[in-house]
Amino acid sequence: MIDTSQLILPDDLRYAEDHEWARLEGDKVRVGISDFAQQQLGDITFVELPNVGDSFGKGQQFGAVESTKAVSDLFMPIGGEILEVNQAIRESPELVNQDPYGDGWMILVKPTRADEMNQLMTKDAYLDMVGRTE
Amino acid sequence: MLQGKRTPLYDWHVAHAATMTDFAGWDMPVWYPTGAVAEHRTVITNAGLFDTSHMCAVAISGPGAFDLLQLCVTKDLNACVGTVKRPLQPGDGVFGAYLNDKGELIDDTILYMIAEGMYLSVVNAGHGTEIAQHLTAHVGDKDVQVEEVSSKVGKIDLQGPLSAKILEKLLQEPLKVLDNMQYFGFKGYFEDRPRPDDVRLRDGTPIMLSRTGFTGEFGFEILVSRDRLLPVWEMILPAGQDLGLITCGLAARDSLRAGGLLPLSHQDMGPWPFINNPWTFVLPFDDEDKSFTKKFIGDVVLAERDQAEHTYAFVGYDPRKVSGKGLSVVIDSGGNEIGVVLTCVSDMAIGLSGDRIYSIGSPDKPKDFKPAGLSCGFVRVKTPLVLGQEVELRDSRRTIRVRIVDDVRPDRTARRPMKDML
Repeated sequence: MIDTSQLILPDDLRYAEDHEWARLEGDKVRVGISDFAQQQLGDITFVELPNVGDSFGKGQQFGAVESTKAVSDLFMPIGGEILEVNQAIRESPELVNQDPYGDGWMILVKPTRADEMNQLMTKDAYLDMVGRTE
Repeated sequence: MLQGKRTPLYDWHVAHAATMTDFAGWDMPVWYPTGAVAEHRTVITNAGLFDTSHMCAVAISGPGAFDLLQLCVTKDLNACVGTVKRPLQPGDGVFGAYLNDKGELIDDTILYMIAEGMYLSVVNAGHGTEIAQHLTAHVGDKDVQVEEVSSKVGKIDLQGPLSAKILEKLLQEPLKVLDNMQYFGFKGYFEDRPRPDDVRLRDGTPIMLSRTGFTGEFGFEILVSRDRLLPVWEMILPAGQDLGLITCGLAARDSLRAGGLLPLSHQDMGPWPFINNPWTFVLPFDDEDKSFTKKFIGDVVLAERDQAEHTYAFVGYDPRKVSGKGLSVVIDSGGNEIGVVLTCVSDMAIGLSGDRIYSIGSPDKPKDFKPAGLSCGFVRVKTPLVLGQEVELRDSRRTIRVRIVDDVRPDRTARRPMKDML
């Protein structure tokens, strides 16, 4: 059981139903998984990431995150081209547990349509969704 | 959702923010806030404490106890201890299995000889009643009593190379108890009962201390009266604090045992012929591995040897897993489906350097060795495979490449001499 009042959910991010977060950085979008997701997964042991230059539509699978408990697919919160992937989490997947919004980020995307960000949830809407699934 | 059964430590686990999961009808900690990876690694470097009070125990006593067990347990109790295969004696535990008359597993057990005509069989969660009934059904005219005592016994596993040092602080007369204690030996009993080698904690609690475990690492299983479980648990933790002792959940237990080549009953062995697997040392083979040295229930399994399926251990090349419990298939180099995956977990204390597997416990590990983790487990296949052979494991999500091995995590500590661990 996770105490939702203890979750770290930054205000400046948008959240997807599949628990990815997206942060607008100029004309790019950085993506990772939420504090709730990393807690649910338990210790993360491996992250499968796409290649730089790959393109995916919103909702398409871009990778997978593996924990001691399970393997979970990662889905694009916003469509676009992969500009960067976080090499550090290939070596040290525990960074996703330790710092899901910082050093544990996953991909940097050049969005096809920046307005897709508006379809994602705010912190409050995401917290509401997570609370309902508890 | 139905509430699962709870051990006497349930409230402690919840109060310490354990993530709980259902295991065989019990609400058990799967990991604590330290996380399963740290718990797994700590058992290899220091020590971990596990609540294993969901397991069951059956007491078998009376003049006919030996004959009943010799009929029902796979090991030949007249020839099962050590390399010299001496008879089971008071103070010995032995790993064996109960088979049905078709040679299929009912459950595995550690069978302890407490005294002449008195044995304790520790079996898996949810299987105490079944084993007690199985034994009772075969009593015949033997003078023997079979009693499930699961509700009286609590069990804590203290596992890891520093376990004996922790016990030294807790036991009355620690050196007398621990001195020369062999792998699978035990001393004491979980309640005040006639055993000459009484083992007590400093507060007087009698314990049964067994040099066994389910991690592949050095350590002990501690059986205590169930009503003493919580105070004993709370006594061990502070005693181990300066030695790095932490509590561990079932996830670490599962990954440790798989890397230690130990089978999970009803997953890696089950209702299929108990033969052609890595654990046939529990069968009473003669020196030539051709026939059995005794008759027992399930001995028909010997005739299945040529047609029965084969179970092998495997190891992968990174920590990526597929689903276990029969949900993934095994594919040979010709693309043929040849079997299923029984267990697939990641041993996060090991990794490849070149083509060799090292553990964080390896004395000769490379400098700055950081274990990336390797998937490992067991497959059951229709056709024999050879050591080193590569196969693919496939579930609905992915395919991983693994190789068939006869060992996974190197440099395990389970069998180290006691004198090295004090």
